[in-house]
Amino acid sequence: MMFPQLFSPVRLGRVELKNRISFQPHLTNFAVDTLPSEKHVHYWGERAKGGAGLIVTEEMSVHPTDRAYEKLIEVFRPEVIPGFRRITDRVHEFGARTFAQINHNGQQCDGTLSRLPVFAPSPVADPLFREIPKEMEPEDIEEVARYFARSAVHVREGGFDGIELQFGHSSLARQFLSPLSNQRTDEFGGSVENRMRAPLLFIAAVRKAVGPDFTVGIRLCADEMIPWGGLNLADVQELAVRFEAAGLIDFMDLSIGTFYNLFLVEGSMHTPLGYTVPLAAGIRSRIRLPVFCTGRINDPTMAEKVLVNGQADVIGMCRALICDPFLPQKAQEGRLGDIRSCVADNQNCIGRIGMNKTLGCIQNPAVGLEKEWGEGTLRPAPVKKRVVVVGGGPAGMWAAKMAGRRGHAVDLYDKGEQLGGQVLLAMKGAGREEFGVLVRNEKAQVEKAGVRVHLGVEVTPELVAATRPDVVICATGSVPARNPRIGGARGPAVWNVWEVLQGKAELGQKVCLVDTDGHHRATATAELIASQGRSVHVLCSSLFVGAELGPTQDLYLTRQRLLQKGCTFTPDIAVLEVAGAAGEKRLKGVNVYSNATQEFGPYDSVVLAIEQEVEDQLYRALKHQVKELYRIGDCVAPRKVDMAIWEGHRVGREI
Amino acid sequence: MGNGHGLEVLVLLRETRDPRPPVRLLASGAALRSTGLRRVVNPADLAALEVAVARPGAVVTALAVGGEELDDALRLGLSMGAARAIRIWDEALRDGDAVAEARVLRRTLEILRPTLFLTGSSLLDRGDDASAALAGAGLGMACARQVVSLALERGRALAIRRAEKGWREEVELRLPCTVLVDAGAAEPRYPDLPSVLGALAAPVAVWGLAELGLPAWELGFDGAALRPVGLAAPRSDPLRVETPDPSQPAHERVRSLFSGGIRPRQGRVHLGSAGQAVERILAIFAEEGLLPGGGP
Repeated sequence: MMFPQLFSPVRLGRVELKNRISFQPHLTNFAVDTLPSEKHVHYWGERAKGGAGLIVTEEMSVHPTDRAYEKLIEVFRPEVIPGFRRITDRVHEFGARTFAQINHNGQQCDGTLSRLPVFAPSPVADPLFREIPKEMEPEDIEEVARYFARSAVHVREGGFDGIELQFGHSSLARQFLSPLSNQRTDEFGGSVENRMRAPLLFIAAVRKAVGPDFTVGIRLCADEMIPWGGLNLADVQELAVRFEAAGLIDFMDLSIGTFYNLFLVEGSMHTPLGYTVPLAAGIRSRIRLPVFCTGRINDPTMAEKVLVNGQADVIGMCRALICDPFLPQKAQEGRLGDIRSCVADNQNCIGRIGMNKTLGCIQNPAVGLEKEWGEGTLRPAPVKKRVVVVGGGPAGMWAAKMAGRRGHAVDLYDKGEQLGGQVLLAMKGAGREEFGVLVRNEKAQVEKAGVRVHLGVEVTPELVAATRPDVVICATGSVPARNPRIGGARGPAVWNVWEVLQGKAELGQKVCLVDTDGHHRATATAELIASQGRSVHVLCSSLFVGAELGPTQDLYLTRQRLLQKGCTFTPDIAVLEVAGAAGEKRLKGVNVYSNATQEFGPYDSVVLAIEQEVEDQLYRALKHQVKELYRIGDCVAPRKVDMAIWEGHRVGREI
Repeated sequence: MGNGHGLEVLVLLRETRDPRPPVRLLASGAALRSTGLRRVVNPADLAALEVAVARPGAVVTALAVGGEELDDALRLGLSMGAARAIRIWDEALRDGDAVAEARVLRRTLEILRPTLFLTGSSLLDRGDDASAALAGAGLGMACARQVVSLALERGRALAIRRAEKGWREEVELRLPCTVLVDAGAAEPRYPDLPSVLGALAAPVAVWGLAELGLPAWELGFDGAALRPVGLAAPRSDPLRVETPDPSQPAHERVRSLFSGGIRPRQGRVHLGSAGQAVERILAIFAEEGLLPGGGP
């Protein structure tokens, strides 16, 4: 076996996990009327089926004052039990264990959802929610402890194997533990003993409710990483030792950061793989309880190394198993090439959750649709057809792969020399190299699906007529706008993002980048140019540069690097016109709020990170000419990779 | 001792789990999970059998205590030269300890009255098993362990046993005696095909509590003085990693995490011709104390 440590059992209290992979808690927004739903059953069931040793549910709210999000499960309501039983029965079918994470978010809550005051140790607002909380009275603390206990009983009744108390990045307990949010002068604030008093009350209440033979653990925030104070690793090591000494818990899960620095909690591809390992090792060196390590460990080799090095006892995987629920099984069977690696792009997992949409994954369209699209749902095509897919980007690769798996005879054409489409360009942006893993993930699967790949071939209506396929799927993508609406956009020394990424743009020293995108296409290109030692000024019409990067947790690090590389920004500006010769480029814009016109320049070169347009000539030429014709991805409308994969997957599944 | 027709030797064969594949604990945490594990006849027991059958005139009885799955081990013993095979089993024997198992073996010794009682000195997976020595001791039989060679002279057994640091100790034992054989004492032979085929058809006698005449409450779980409570793999020792220095501000701690603890020093760019670059590099080496004669 390649990963003996990863697939060795481990005991957490009375519970034995068959391996050391834990599917970590994260929001799904699958709850319906604050109760568990059928989506939960199949979502967690799929990860259990895929071989994870432990499934820890999303956080569930223990008290009516805790409504951080609209679609939380309210575990304090006994009505949750039937849903819990369906979930736990399903997970247990596959030999996995499952813990429920229960939580009170404290100040990290939205009182307008609960229509109740937000509870916190002190009237200190969370930097994200910005709501001044009610300073909890001792009776409030006792009430929340009682609700923790009541919730724990529902968890046990629901068939779970254990409970994880969220004391980490988003929790009332952390707010009690941290001197930053706990400014009390009574017995619940001040000294370490006092700050631990409320969290220990919660643990003790839960332990009393579930009894000594039920597994109970906590998730601690290993370092709040807040510039103006808060808990650091040394503080949390002391807390961990004291929590262990209390003798009431069986394991210690860890997180990092708070809502002030969510980019650490849910690190995107701009954070290194396994970035939290030193913190887990630091905690584990001080306690004997099994310690979890989570944070961009998306690969069994790295997971094994962390375990062999004695830096953690259980590996938490979250996005890695959202992306590929069967990672554990594939790792155990040594099929590493079949693992669909998460790239931490965050657009459809964290990005969607933050916008109150259901959880998704750019690379796994089946997330949340496991019942319909999960493992084992793909049916062979009733009629085997000859399928031509035009365009080897993500949409085309997925369409070809899915159709091939169903038994169709598939030919995939791309005019380029490699599969990947626009991914090959996007990965050239600064900090976006890992995006290229999307191609690595799919290329082998396309071949395994029996698809014949034709590279360097431009498909024409004549070629289609000659090959006479039953189905043609156009996935021909999009290109930078041919006639941008900005005046002078086709003038000298004006380049588009593609030309910069391909290295075709002959840029001068002083560059102005016009950004109507707000996403990586603009910022990663600006950073690439700045990395070449050029000065970059970014003009955008939104409130700030990188306006779309907030939900994916890329904003902070992107802007940090751009500023460190000397980039400057002017927001609120809609660029109307670009004029002047190379070396003397001037831009005319209007402030979108004051409507005052402004001039910018002179610049040596201008780069336009603006709209794309469809590449649909082939589709239009073939319309009504072939038996079945589909178009998918950017050639329908230029969007992001998630929709390309979604549409490719669907058409491949349905034809 | 014996029935007068030859040297009566009783060899105890035990099965162990092959420890090479990874093992898993039972949910109770007190024992290993058997599913997925390969079972093998304890190699030292096979060496003991080989020592026994190699002795001229020896009439060897292969003995096993356990369920039907042990018939394969006994047939292997028969094919290697044992004259008969006895398997002892009753559900009452389940989950016993060495003391409880020794009661069974002692009763068997009382019934069969062999001159030599042989088995392996240690088990491949669990190390020592005291039951054979305890059984013999209950009947006043001497016991030698880690025996690498055995001879019988003038009604006594002469055994050479492995001692510490490669020493060899010779001991003399009064017969009858118990000899615990080292796995390296003899290389078990592969039985030939006719022997294997013969063993397939040979009978394996099965004894239960009635044949032993022992009460159930003295045996197995009820008769055990020792109860397993927990079994756990050792906790791996941590490899030290650079943890963020708590005295540093948050952004430095983040930088420490992102760099794996590597702290970059401020870089400088020096422009110039190739010759100037070489000179500058040499000067930096000298400043860093990397060149002979240079010093920081």
